[in-house]
Amino acid sequence: MNLDWLDAFLISGLFHVVVVVGLGLLLHLQLGLARIANFGVVGFWGVGMYTFGVLFVKVDWPFGDVWAFLISLVAATIVAGLAGLLVGWLIADLDEDGVLVGTLGFATAVFILATTEQDLTGGALGLGGLKFPYNVGSVKANEFLWLIIVTLVVFAIFLYAWRVHRSPYGRLLIAVGANEPLARSLGKPAFRTKLWLFGVGSAGMGLLGALFGVMERFLATSNLGIDVTLAAMVALIFGGTARVWGAVLGGVLTIGFFDIVVQSYLPLPREWYSQAIPVLRELIFGLAIMIVLLFRPLGILGDMRRDKLMRSVHSD
Amino acid sequence: MDLDLLSDSLVIGLTEHAPLVLAAIGFALLYRLTGLINVAYSETVTLGAYFGMWTNTTFGLNFYAVLIPAGIMAGLVSVATYFAVFRPAKRLNVGVLEMIIISFGLSIFLRHGLQFIFGYPVRFFDVPPPDTIRVLGVGVGSFRLVALASVAVLSLVIFWVIQRSSLGLQIRALASDEDLAQASGIRPLFVTVLIWFIAGVAGGLAGAFYGVGSSVAPLLGWRQFLFILLVVLVGGAKGLGGVIVTGIITGVALAAMSLQFGQVLYAQLALILGFMVLLKVRSRRIAETGKV
Repeated sequence: MNLDWLDAFLISGLFHVVVVVGLGLLLHLQLGLARIANFGVVGFWGVGMYTFGVLFVKVDWPFGDVWAFLISLVAATIVAGLAGLLVGWLIADLDEDGVLVGTLGFATAVFILATTEQDLTGGALGLGGLKFPYNVGSVKANEFLWLIIVTLVVFAIFLYAWRVHRSPYGRLLIAVGANEPLARSLGKPAFRTKLWLFGVGSAGMGLLGALFGVMERFLATSNLGIDVTLAAMVALIFGGTARVWGAVLGGVLTIGFFDIVVQSYLPLPREWYSQAIPVLRELIFGLAIMIVLLFRPLGILGDMRRDKLMRSVHSD
Repeated sequence: MDLDLLSDSLVIGLTEHAPLVLAAIGFALLYRLTGLINVAYSETVTLGAYFGMWTNTTFGLNFYAVLIPAGIMAGLVSVATYFAVFRPAKRLNVGVLEMIIISFGLSIFLRHGLQFIFGYPVRFFDVPPPDTIRVLGVGVGSFRLVALASVAVLSLVIFWVIQRSSLGLQIRALASDEDLAQASGIRPLFVTVLIWFIAGVAGGLAGAFYGVGSSVAPLLGWRQFLFILLVVLVGGAKGLGGVIVTGIITGVALAAMSLQFGQVLYAQLALILGFMVLLKVRSRRIAETGKV
């Protein structure tokens, strides 16, 4: 396959956008529908990434690489989901402050374990040896194929979020988010709903973390910074917390702008790219979160479709 | 328990983690009196370290002299964030959840903005190594003793101001019912600004003590934020006194576990897990009372 038209930077830029959109979609179900601010996105992502890496690299599997790869991937998803159930159980009856502590504390605990358990994770030195489960030729071709595969995974997440919006479960999430005591008093299982929400959401975040680790081929604790949570949050909030398309639009406009347009297509001095641009990127993301939440809390896309519909029906 | 371990962890915990208590006092003031979880408080701590380092290296002031401008500047930044972000947010009726995320955005903004002012590399205070004083057989740097002393003084002053003075009465009145307080002639703006200033001073001083003990870096305050938050949420139910006591116990526990495990990170991990279980148990009890 001739991929000369494709820039290596473009592949990695698109890959970042796709992964962040995936995280944003999962965060949308938690923040946009159930109104739970998960500040520990990077923790679940890290659990998936490291579970996959350790299982794939350190375990001596009795069968071929492809099966070892798939089993490790499934295991990483399940472990991240279980971690999500644990955190969900922890924060289910806590208020906003408790959720902040619980999710942030979980992410910190994951970071600490990734650093201290050097025999398994490589600690600060990192863990190498991850690879694609196929080889179609050049590095670029392999990465391009991986980008397509991950895009398909994120598309599946999108379809899931889409279905949730149109399902009784989605309405239950909205009810719990809008008024939990009321939902409880109507006999809705708020606790179990939140548990399920965190279990599934975290499994997805863990899967994305594992897929991201494969593209990096090298796991380092520097992948576990708050910037991952920030990227998912800014994409979702910018695009619109209440809409399925919010994370997609926001991801393209925020991460896409910096990691594709600024990275490759703006005529900026080369020396800016090592430090000034990455710092400026985070600074603008922080600013964007503040401005959007102050002046247009639901982001670019605004209200949920059903709210718009309700208003148009009742204003007659 | 081994007596040596006990005395060692007491001395190390009290002196090394004194800034944690100081930072927690400031955070708790904001939390209890304005009901706000301010994630950007971690940058007040960071900026305190930067301001201290900057006055120290630019004007050659010694560390003790630097504490005053560093505290005042951090206090002013804290007040500025109130006027720039939190006051408008309150006027726009932003919800609790959004307020936390806004303060998170502000935290990210300040953490990266300060790098354009103070530069990207890690910076250091330019101070002679502190004198070492032996307390109960443990060598303690003089800066850490000053940290402990200022924690003691500041907590007493804040405690006295809030519990005994007429200004404290106004602060408490404002915290419990803003409309009523305003009707009885309290100037809410003045009192609120004062709270933000004192909180900023406490955070900034904590930052300066953290910074002189190691290095001054953009993540300095953020690394402490989770622990500040844990101390305030767990201890805050019993008022400022509870925060101070919890902060001290946390410091001593961190020191004891670090000595025991030989690894600071394990001590932090154990502490995070312990506090989370505590919060969960408490929330369970609250949930139970809700069912009555």
